[in-house]
Amino acid sequence: MWHITKRELYNNLNSLRFALTTVLLLALMVTNAVRHIREHPKRVQKYHDAVTASMNQLTARADASLYALAHEGPGTLYKKPSPLHFCAAGGETLLPDRVDAPSGGRGFWSLKYPDANINMKNVGPDVSQIDWTFIIGYVLSLIALLFTFDAISGEREHGTLRLTLANAIPRHTVLIGKFLGALISTTIPFMLAVLVNLLMISTASEVHLNTEAWGRLGIILFIALLYTCLFLALGLLVSARVQRSAVSLVILLLAWVTFVVFMPSTLASLASGFSSSMSRHEYFDRYGQSYHKLRRTWRYAWYQSNDEEMLRIRGEWHTKIAVRGERVAGEYLTFKINQVQRARAITRISPAALLQHLLEAFAGTGLDRYQQFTENAQRYAREYREFVVDMERGDPDSRHIMGVREGMSQKPVNPEAVPRFEDTRNISKDFNTAAMELLLLTLFVVILLAGAYLAFVRVEI
Amino acid sequence: MFLTLIRRELLDNLMTFRFAAAVVIMLLLVVANTVVLINDYEQRLADYNTAVKTHRQELWQESKTYSYAMLGSWGMHVDRPPNPLSIFNTGLDKRLGNKIRVSHTFTPTIWDAKKYAADNPLFNILTSIDIVLIFQGILSLLALIFAYDAIAGEYEHGTLRLVLTHPVGRGVILLAKYIGAMVCLLVPLVMSLLLMFILLTTSAMISLNTDDFLRIGGIVLTSLAYLSLFYLIGMLISAITRRTSTALILSMFVWGFLVLVYPNIILTAVDTAPRTDTESAAYHQVKRIWEEFERESEQFLRNDPVLSAEGWGNYIYGAISDVPSRLVFHSIRRASSDLETIDAEFEPYVPHVQNYFRSFGPLTVNTAERTWLIRKPALETIYVQPANRGRMLLKFSPAGLYDTATEAWAGTDLNGIQDFFTAAQRYRQAIINYFHDEKIFASRQWFSADQRAVDWDTLPQFSFQRSDIGINAKRAVSDLFLLFMMNVFLFIAIFLVFIKSEV
Repeated sequence: MWHITKRELYNNLNSLRFALTTVLLLALMVTNAVRHIREHPKRVQKYHDAVTASMNQLTARADASLYALAHEGPGTLYKKPSPLHFCAAGGETLLPDRVDAPSGGRGFWSLKYPDANINMKNVGPDVSQIDWTFIIGYVLSLIALLFTFDAISGEREHGTLRLTLANAIPRHTVLIGKFLGALISTTIPFMLAVLVNLLMISTASEVHLNTEAWGRLGIILFIALLYTCLFLALGLLVSARVQRSAVSLVILLLAWVTFVVFMPSTLASLASGFSSSMSRHEYFDRYGQSYHKLRRTWRYAWYQSNDEEMLRIRGEWHTKIAVRGERVAGEYLTFKINQVQRARAITRISPAALLQHLLEAFAGTGLDRYQQFTENAQRYAREYREFVVDMERGDPDSRHIMGVREGMSQKPVNPEAVPRFEDTRNISKDFNTAAMELLLLTLFVVILLAGAYLAFVRVEI
Repeated sequence: MFLTLIRRELLDNLMTFRFAAAVVIMLLLVVANTVVLINDYEQRLADYNTAVKTHRQELWQESKTYSYAMLGSWGMHVDRPPNPLSIFNTGLDKRLGNKIRVSHTFTPTIWDAKKYAADNPLFNILTSIDIVLIFQGILSLLALIFAYDAIAGEYEHGTLRLVLTHPVGRGVILLAKYIGAMVCLLVPLVMSLLLMFILLTTSAMISLNTDDFLRIGGIVLTSLAYLSLFYLIGMLISAITRRTSTALILSMFVWGFLVLVYPNIILTAVDTAPRTDTESAAYHQVKRIWEEFERESEQFLRNDPVLSAEGWGNYIYGAISDVPSRLVFHSIRRASSDLETIDAEFEPYVPHVQNYFRSFGPLTVNTAERTWLIRKPALETIYVQPANRGRMLLKFSPAGLYDTATEAWAGTDLNGIQDFFTAAQRYRQAIINYFHDEKIFASRQWFSADQRAVDWDTLPQFSFQRSDIGINAKRAVSDLFLLFMMNVFLFIAIFLVFIKSEV
C-alpha cells in the first residue's frame, strides 16, 4: 500500500497541476494575510474606542446616582471582533456590531437591536472577500477533484491498473493507497500556503493570536482536511465508475459547479423568496398597539391616585413599558434570525455551505456569532438590572419606587462595582452548535468513500 | 468540404454525454433561479407600488403647506421602480436606495436615498445569484469542455492528419471547428432563454416592451462574445499543449483563475471601499456656506422692525440636518410651518413673514446650488472614483467585462441608477421653477393652511422613464468591443500556432 501511495505522490509532485496548485494557493493565502494585517488593527481599534467611550459614560452615570444608572442604562454594547476574521468573513460587514440600550425618554432604558447595515453608499462592484472559506470551499475542492479525476480511469486507459492488480494486492489496498496519495499531494501545497499565511499573520506585531485562537485554527484545519477528503472520495468514485478520464472530469466539474457554486445561493434564495416577511411597519404596529393598550389602562390609574401612589404607578408604568418594548424588539430579532437560519439550514445539502457554517462557528463570525452576542447582551442586561435592584434595596434612605427619580436612591455608586459587559465566546458551546454539521460532513465523507470502494471493487478492468 | 467539417463537429459535440449533462444542469439552475428572481422582482414591485401610494397619502394628509412638504418629515418623496431586467443582472438595482426626498434645500443624489423595502435585511448575508452569473459560470465551463480536445484530441487520434490530406486550408478547419462548437453552445443558451421567457410570461406583473427585448438581445450578443472568448481560450490551450490531458488540466486552472479567483483576489488586494477620510474638507466647506446663510437670514430678521421682536418664532420652525458622510449640512431655522389657523393677534405679522420668506426661499435655493457645486465633485471622488477603479480592475478578466457589459444593457449599472437620480434632480428643479413662477415662496400658503390647504395635483408630477436602448448600447459598447477584440486576437493567435505546428 505504501508503495502505491508513494508512486501516486511522485506522479503528482512532478505534474503541472501540482505546480499550478501551489502557486494559486500561495497567492490566495498571501492576499488573505495581507488584507487581514491591514484591516484587523483598524477593526480592533474601532472596537476599543467604542467600548472606552461606552465605559466612560457608564462611569459618569455611576458617579451621578443609582437612579441615573437605572434610568439611562449601561450604554451601547459592542461585539468583539474575532481574531480569526481571516478564516471566515461571514458577512460581518452586513451584520450589526452592537446592541443599543437607549433610555426611553423619562422611562427606563431597554435593549434595541439595530438593523443590518446594508451599505447603500458603496456603488462599487459586489464581490466576496477572500477568506479561508473561499479558498477551501471553492479552490481547494476544485483542486481535490483535479487530483483524483484520472486516478483510476487514467490508469485504466493506460493499462497500468491491470498491471498493478496482477500483483497480489487486494483492491481496497489500491484504493486506499490512491486516496492517501491524493490526500497528501493536495495537503502539501495547502499546508504550505497555510503556513505562509499564519507566519505572516502571527509575526505581524499588530495582530495577536492567543492559545484559544490557535486551538480553533487546529479545528478549522481538521475540518478543511475532512472537506478535502470528501471531494477526493467523490473524485475516486466517479473515476472508478467512468471509463474515460475526460468524461470523469466533466461529470465531476458539473457536480462541483452545481453543489459548490450554485446550490447554496439557489437554495437559500428559494427558501428566502417564499418565506413570509414581517416588515418593520408590522413590527412597530405591534409595538404601538401594546403601548397604547398599556397607556389607556395606566392613564386612568394616574387620575385616581394621590401623591405617593401616583409615583408608584408611574414607576410601574415605566417598568412595564421598558419590559414590553424590549420583549417586542427581542421577538422581532428572533423572528428575523430564525427566518435566515431556516434558509441556511436548507443549504446544508451542499458541502460548501456546511464548510462555511463550520468555519464561521469556529472562527467566531457570521450569524451564529451575532446571535450569541445578542444573547450575551440580554444576559448582561438581566445582570445589570439585578445589580440595580440590589443596590436599591441596600439604600435605607430611598423610598424604593423603581422607575421614578423621586422614588429611587440618589447616592452615587462605586463605578468598580457596576457589572461590565463581557462578550465571551465558549469553544465547547461553538462545538455544540457545530456538532450537527460536523457529523453531516463526516457522514458525507464516509458515504462517498464507501461508494468509491464498492464502485472500485465491482468494476471490470 | 467546409460544411462537412462543420457537420462533423456538430455531431461530435451534440451527441456526447457531457453536452447532455451540461444542458440539463444549466436548465435546472436557470429555471430554479428564474422562479426565485421573478418572485423577488414581483415583491419589489409590490413594495414600490405600496411606497408610491403611501408617500402620496402622507403628502396629502400631513402636508398642508408648501414649506412643510419641502422640510417636514412626511414631505415630498419620489420612489425608484425596480428594473425588470434585474432578473438578468441584478447589478446595483437591489442594493442602492430607492426612496428620495425632494426638497429645495439639497440636490438629491444616490447617497441621499433611503430604502422602503419590507423584507428582512438579514437575508443579505446570503449570497444571491442572477441569470448572468449562471451563464458566466456554466457557459464558460461548457465552452472550455468543448474546446480542450478540439485540436489536441485530433492530434492524438491522428484524425487531423487524415483531414489535412484533403485539399482544405488549415484556417478553414479552424473556422469549421469554431462555427460548429459555437452552434452547439448556442443550444443551451437559447433553450434557457426560451424557458425564461415562458416563465416570464406566466407572471402578470412583468411586462416587457420592445426596447426590453432589444436589451435582452444585447445581453445575448454579449453572452455570445463571452462564450466564444472562452471557447477560443480553450482552443488556444489545446493547440499549444497538443495533449488532451494537459489541455484539460490547464483549461480548468485558467477557468478557475479567470472566473472564480481573479475577481475576488484583485478586490481583496486593492482596497476600493469609499475613501471616507477625504470628505471632511468638502463637508466643512458646505457647513461654512450654510452658516453664512444662517447669518444672512438672521441679519434680515434683525433689520425687520416687527420680526426682530421674536414671539412669532414659536410658530415657525426649521430643521438642522447634518450628515457628514453624504456631505449634507443645513441649519435652516425658521423655515417651515404648518399652521392650521392664524390667530388675530398674529395677523399683523403675516405680511412681514411673507416678506421674510420671499427672500429666504430663493436664498435657500441659491445656497443649495452653491453647496451642490462642492458636493458634486466631492461625492464623485469619494464614492464614484474608487468604485470605477474597482470595476476597471475587474475588466482584466473576461468575466468582469461580461458582467459590466450586461449590467449596462440591463440598465442596472451605476449609470442606469444615476439616470433615476438625474430625473429626480430635474423634478426638483421643475418644482423650484414652479415655485418661482407662481411666487409660492412669498405666498401665504408657504407657511399657513388657514385659508386653504395646498392642492398637490397642481404641482408638476414626477415621471421616470428608463433610458433609451440607444443609450444602453452606448454604455455597453466599449466592453463589448473589448470582448470582440479579444476574440479576434485569440483567433489570430490560434491560427498562427496551428499553422506553424507539425501534424
